[in-house]
Amino acid sequence: MVNVLTPRSPERAPDPLPGAPAGHGRRRGRHRETVVAYLFLAPALLFFAVFLLLPLGFALLLSVSRWTGFDLGAIEPVGPDNFAALLADGSTFLVPVLTNTLLFALGTVALALTGSVVVATCVDRLRFQGLWRTLYFLPIVTTVVAVGNVWKYMYEPGGLANGVLNALGLGSVAFLQDPDTALPSVVVVQAWASLGSAILVLTAGLKSIPASYHEAAALDGAGPGTVFRRITLPLLRPSLLFVCVTQFLTGLQSFALITVMTRGGPGDATNVAALEMYRLAFDHGDWGTASAAAFVLFAVVLVVTLAQLRVFRRAGEDA
Amino acid sequence: MRRRFPWLSYLVVVAGALLTVVPFLDMVMTSFKGPGEAGTLPYRFLPKAFALSNYRAAIEQLDLPTLFRNSVVVTTVITVSVLLTSSLAGYALARLRFPGRDLVFRLVLSTMMFPPFLFLIPRFLILVHWPLAGGNDLLGRGGAGLTVSIVALAVPFLVNGFGIFLTRQFMLSLPDEVLEAARIDGAGEFTVWWRIVVPQTKPVLVTLGLLTFVDAWNEYIWALLVSTANPDLMTLPVGVQLLRDHVDPARTMPVVMAGLVLSVLPVLVLFLLLQKHYIRGVMLSGLK
Repeated sequence: MVNVLTPRSPERAPDPLPGAPAGHGRRRGRHRETVVAYLFLAPALLFFAVFLLLPLGFALLLSVSRWTGFDLGAIEPVGPDNFAALLADGSTFLVPVLTNTLLFALGTVALALTGSVVVATCVDRLRFQGLWRTLYFLPIVTTVVAVGNVWKYMYEPGGLANGVLNALGLGSVAFLQDPDTALPSVVVVQAWASLGSAILVLTAGLKSIPASYHEAAALDGAGPGTVFRRITLPLLRPSLLFVCVTQFLTGLQSFALITVMTRGGPGDATNVAALEMYRLAFDHGDWGTASAAAFVLFAVVLVVTLAQLRVFRRAGEDA
Repeated sequence: MRRRFPWLSYLVVVAGALLTVVPFLDMVMTSFKGPGEAGTLPYRFLPKAFALSNYRAAIEQLDLPTLFRNSVVVTTVITVSVLLTSSLAGYALARLRFPGRDLVFRLVLSTMMFPPFLFLIPRFLILVHWPLAGGNDLLGRGGAGLTVSIVALAVPFLVNGFGIFLTRQFMLSLPDEVLEAARIDGAGEFTVWWRIVVPQTKPVLVTLGLLTFVDAWNEYIWALLVSTANPDLMTLPVGVQLLRDHVDPARTMPVVMAGLVLSVLPVLVLFLLLQKHYIRGVMLSGLK
């Protein structure tokens, strides 16, 4: 999802055009301008109508219906049955699928945030900035198919990860085959792939902290640890929060990496909500339950989005 | 700030960079390994010899020309479409006065609130049941709908709410005088847009185009879905994944890695050439 947190530039209505013809001609100019404006907007509006609003309505309809997927006339409304089936006792949707989703998102945030804070504070004011940025950005421009398969291969018994463990005298780990290690192993890859952009945001945040703050604190006798805790971290809070929320939202929705690496297995050990939706729909043709699952996940995403908007607003009032 | 331990900082940053790069190197090294060399114990990083045979095998087994053509066509169509629609809509929202403008702008912003997974199922069904396409009747029954055509791969990505938002913000700051001068010279709005606004907003269009291009090239889930309906529409990522799933992984891992290198290479080169624009785009769009 494109994030909606981008710092908004102040809204400014365009000024009335200076030198616009006055009187009768002006009204005709207005009319023409309206026509031109809607012509310019037509492709986008048409797209939103056919591929955004229509699908949204269709998905809502499907989530409260039973349908075989062939004849549009045969959609059978069943009320909240699909949601009830998802949340019923014995359904795997809440546990482990939705809990996996939350663990996956939380784990990714924790790892990526820790890693990016460490690297960003170290890389700040170091030489060769451009080189580091290029290197840390490589995973971001690489297709998930490559990232997933390379890591899957590295996790294999004869792969790089176990090669390193063996070289250190440790035993091999069945990273993706063991239900206990599968989810953490996938989390590591997701965090690895998102490190670059997190570092980018945090480095920008660090640059905006005036050097004089640090110098003043150092003059007052504060050690580097104190400066980091008392000055850097508090002033970095908006950037940290931003990284947290966007990573969390991305983590809740992403399933491409898991599709490539484990397909949710072993068992349901790495199955997440979006993948469950995909499988219900395209493996089982259960369009109704799949659409209901999509809306449950959407509700979770929406709650997080709204909570974050409130937090940001409060943070903005503090500042 | 004076640093007490610059070497420690270098150590951390270099270690992190190694962790980032090593999987890529492992991919490249494995793509040169001979049969029986990959996935066997003990693990060896370097291949015994740098053989190109895996690349030849990948090109043959993957029907690479078709995959490459599909990827190029889809990526180009999406990029051009996003640039055109964003620039047109952004210009209207930023520089034209008309009733309903704020409402339309709010609509554009709200489209960014909806996560893509929500549309996966209904968009696919709409394409399959598209009336009078691919053998369908007027009610969308009986045929394969739009999935017979390569446009099916591009459809969900043709317009981008964020792209409209981005160009609109950029166009707000264009100086009035230039646009006004052109209007006084009798240029219509379309001419003003094409001759003046588009060239003046080149930086934001390059950034948006690059972001869109990379995303479109790397896209996997939708392409997978469409190509299960119509195997002729496989893109590079889908094709390589299929090879990965359907061959004996112990023996042909190097071939898969060669395929991955080939599919990653074009975007990687583009990124290295234009990374300033790309990184600015990531800053503008927040996190990826």
